[in-house]
Amino acid sequence: MSRNGTSQARKSLLRQLADSKVLLLMCVPAIVFFVIFNYAPLPGAWIAFTNFNYRDGIFGSPFVGLRNFEFLIKSGQLWLLTRNTILYNLAFIILGNILQIAIAIMLNEIRSTFFKKISQAAMFLPFFISAVLVGVIAFNLLNYDTGAINALIRQTGGDPIKIYSTAGAWPLIIIMVHLWQSTGYGSIVYFAAIMGIDRSLYEAATVDGASAWQRIRYVTLPSLKPTFIILVLFSLGGIMHGNFGLFWNLVGNNASLFQTTDIIETSVYRMVLSQNNFTTSTAVGLYQSLFGFALVMTANWIVRRINKDYALF
Amino acid sequence: MTDRTASESNIIVEVEGVGMGPAKPRAIRLDRSDVVVQAISYVTITLFALFCLLPFVLILSASFSSEATIMKTGFGLLPKDFSLAAYEWIFKAPRQIIGSYIVTITMTVFGTAIGLFIIAMTGYALNRKDFPFRNHVSFFIYFTTLFSAGLAPTFLWIARDLGLRGSYFAVFLQLLMTPWLIILMKNFMRTVPYEIIESGKVDGAGDFRIFAQLCLPMMKPALATIGLFLALSYWNEWYLSSLYLGSTVEFKPLQYHLYNIINTANALRNSVAGSNVSITNLPSNTLKMASAIVAIGPILLLYPFIQKYFVSGITIGAVKG
Amino acid sequence: MHRRNIVRAGAALLALGMSMPALTAGALAQDAPVEITMLTMGNKPTNGRLEAMLEKLNELLVAKANAKLDLFYIEWADWQTQYNVQLLSGDDNVDLIGTATDWLYAWENAEKGAFLPLPPEMLQANAPKTWAQVEADGHWDLTKLADGKIYFMPEDNYTQYTNHGFFYRGDWAREAGFENGEITRFEDFTKYFEWVKANKPDAYPWDVAGANEAALTGYIQGHTDMHPIWGLSAGNYFPFHTSAAAPYTVTSWYMEGDALVEAAKLAKQWNEIGVWREDALNFDGETREELYAALSGTDQHHTQTFINDIVNNMNTKQPGSDPKFFYWGKENGNFFKDIFTHGAMAVSAYSKNPEKALQVYDLIRNDKEIYMLFNFGIEGTDYVITADGKLGRPEGWDQSTMDLGTDYWWGRTDEFELPRTTQAPNRAEIIAELDATAKEYPYSTLLINKQAIDPTLAAMSGVLSEYIPQLQYGKFDDPAAAVAEMRQKLKDVGYEDARASIQADMDAWKAARGL
Repeated sequence: MSRNGTSQARKSLLRQLADSKVLLLMCVPAIVFFVIFNYAPLPGAWIAFTNFNYRDGIFGSPFVGLRNFEFLIKSGQLWLLTRNTILYNLAFIILGNILQIAIAIMLNEIRSTFFKKISQAAMFLPFFISAVLVGVIAFNLLNYDTGAINALIRQTGGDPIKIYSTAGAWPLIIIMVHLWQSTGYGSIVYFAAIMGIDRSLYEAATVDGASAWQRIRYVTLPSLKPTFIILVLFSLGGIMHGNFGLFWNLVGNNASLFQTTDIIETSVYRMVLSQNNFTTSTAVGLYQSLFGFALVMTANWIVRRINKDYALF
Repeated sequence: MTDRTASESNIIVEVEGVGMGPAKPRAIRLDRSDVVVQAISYVTITLFALFCLLPFVLILSASFSSEATIMKTGFGLLPKDFSLAAYEWIFKAPRQIIGSYIVTITMTVFGTAIGLFIIAMTGYALNRKDFPFRNHVSFFIYFTTLFSAGLAPTFLWIARDLGLRGSYFAVFLQLLMTPWLIILMKNFMRTVPYEIIESGKVDGAGDFRIFAQLCLPMMKPALATIGLFLALSYWNEWYLSSLYLGSTVEFKPLQYHLYNIINTANALRNSVAGSNVSITNLPSNTLKMASAIVAIGPILLLYPFIQKYFVSGITIGAVKG
Repeated sequence: MHRRNIVRAGAALLALGMSMPALTAGALAQDAPVEITMLTMGNKPTNGRLEAMLEKLNELLVAKANAKLDLFYIEWADWQTQYNVQLLSGDDNVDLIGTATDWLYAWENAEKGAFLPLPPEMLQANAPKTWAQVEADGHWDLTKLADGKIYFMPEDNYTQYTNHGFFYRGDWAREAGFENGEITRFEDFTKYFEWVKANKPDAYPWDVAGANEAALTGYIQGHTDMHPIWGLSAGNYFPFHTSAAAPYTVTSWYMEGDALVEAAKLAKQWNEIGVWREDALNFDGETREELYAALSGTDQHHTQTFINDIVNNMNTKQPGSDPKFFYWGKENGNFFKDIFTHGAMAVSAYSKNPEKALQVYDLIRNDKEIYMLFNFGIEGTDYVITADGKLGRPEGWDQSTMDLGTDYWWGRTDEFELPRTTQAPNRAEIIAELDATAKEYPYSTLLINKQAIDPTLAAMSGVLSEYIPQLQYGKFDDPAAAVAEMRQKLKDVGYEDARASIQADMDAWKAARGL
């Protein structure tokens, strides 16, 4: 904003408003939407500091300071949830990107357009289905009595595996399901990036006698670096946010798996819905927002110092 | 609250250079490493594609299996004792499923149309370099991805203060747009050359007319992509329904209906046969699978038509404008 | 209300063309009958019987109170969630709310403001018969919060036992080697289960679905003199107990003593036998139907269900199965009579017609014609009166498919209940046996200051809901270690402080009563 006196600034603001009123009007529906559904509930986070009851309402309920947070920390739950949420996201980000790059590179090597189309179609498909269906599929595969995996084990004379009570197996399962659902879709972005690489680089490499391996190693991969970095940074912004639908539909209320599968979203959902517990759940949510916000800001600040181009904002 | 924010965000990146269409043919001579790399690629891609497809085959086979055999030997890749019993149950009393279909289709059509229009409009405005408030509005929207009130306060606000619990609107309205889709649309809008807008201005067209008559027609792949995201989020919605609808409505949105069928035997019974049958007489396992197939059906059918637009849309969105 | 309508109208404009039922309900003519909606727990029947009954019922209600009744069901799937979410939503379309202090969060929801306080004058004017009967029995005190106001009307005029236990098959138990097919100790079920496992390949010894703690409570009640303080719940658990030896000392079987560990070890043994399905926690079936179909050897619920449903269904669907009931605490008489607020009716704080709602409730509770219609349906099609004055079912009636499903447990009355042909023939003996040993629940008027301990209860609920289902299904390799771990966590979240706070309430209550 201009520093030449407030009256002038105000005038220019008015003029700006007048000049861009149509554009501003075009933004109004979206602004109204976010005001109603995202900003308006924000003050409600005050519940985290109260002993909420609905007669007195959010701001009339007794103030209890940080008591709701105290119990979360004391029970060790906050640490467990933070750990699980972050570790899962890290695994998703790292393994996801590696797999997406690998698939994109291999797709690029494939010459048959027909094969490319068909295989892409198959790989995208999981992206299109709901979390509920993912849950159905997982149960179909993994359950003890009729699951396909255990059916196969029984047929071959082995002892079936009690997957739904083996907490240790679930990080692997959840990561696999996530990769299953998102890799095909995610690889398009890298594929597009590979298509954007200047062809003369490859030709020069071939002329220099580079093998296919070397072309990938010295031309393709370095060219994908910026895309990779930006994608990773973007996903880091959501590192405190879990994919609720996936976790809930895979695990649900199965307490024997919580140790390795409970993330912030599932825990909050259970607290609100089966325990009627509004205060602690809001405390967890507030912690999630604040901690996530701090993480994004710090990451962005660091990135900005290293290379301004990669900064999110 | 969308499950896909992380993946949607994938597209909002800038890729060096612009390159469309198939790769130019390379040097004709193939050395051994080329052959090896290609062989590996074909094999790996084939395997991965199968890995992606197999679960669908499993469900499809299960839905055509006989319940008794499933109970005895479990699910498998091929139908066991081919049987149409599960589908017969579903189509005997299809009232619930049809009701759910109508609810979901209505929401998807209206939601996608309205949402797409608002998103396109906003994305257009935010991409106009001569719009002085673009950064303010952008941040105002982006901020909501960083900070949210959380489940309980949001629920209290929407259910109690807005009085929307028990109304389809609670679900319909909340899915209209996400910050990521607006930012994505903004990126897409960069592909419209500024000269077009200029020429519109010279002709004396208002901002809205420039948007509606000049820009929108050029944005077909973008609209298709974002429309698909919106349509998917409506089609696949179950979570908001569980919070805001519960059992207050007779016809639950399709995926929430499926969620109930999967998770409670009684919902399964009510869905297919009213209370007029004992649960122990129902082929529960295969019925669940058949219901799942019925719930994905349209996506599988539309899929080949959508795929082309989708890939090209994402590719354009990924490219620096 | 005003603001809400504005928003609704705005929303309607924003997204054109979709119908919204809430909007259309508002504008009714002055003299049109008032529509009263009653919230009840259960699965909404879809066999048409309910609608047929309501049509007749509403003719009567219009004539007697110019009102109509509709039912709103909270389905059993996810019921705790959906019940609380529904009350929380402040929905003004529901007028009457079925509730209970020991299993349906009546105190919690009263405290949180979901129920309308009912002044005596309002009750006298609109529900005079209910008022007079409860007043005469001196039971209004059971429905008051610390503010001295009445929050619900108790089902205090109806005899029932809802003490839990196992239903099992006498014929199988006999073959398993039990004399007369009678199982008399909780741990003896091991033998029964083993026999079922070995001899009935199609059946699970005890097919059970979802989170549950029956295998633990059943053991503990029979092996200790401890009993939960009802109405003091942490999520789905009652974490505080007293004992017969020290009835005014607050303790917890989750924290003290060896019974929990012993129970968990027994559960582990059962799990290894394969008593339930491996994925019981993820199973969602209707286990009672499994029992009726001989696919399960055992089912778990209470006396009332046994007398009214199990015996008749088993005798018709599994002739000769000789259904039997083993209730928790049978070994040592450690169980209580029902409290009078095991069922109750509240008026929603958001009801637009609370007076009319009370009038309708008074009729349902005290008008014989309406009571019969509402509870049993249309005479001739839903029920018949037999020559000996019993309530019977018409030829070919099957509960699994033709049930009326009113699910009304919020104000039944002994006066209108007839003996039923479908009831266990030895109902009187069963009740007499229970009457002889059951103890009166002593803490009906004890009010706990929950404000002080809410976050602890919430945190305890989190801990319990993680450990108890796993203990119940024997999923820990070392139950003793798991129990120790759980106890440490409960301590960490403030069990001791909460216990002390409740003890103070108990001491004050005891002193006030001169006990």
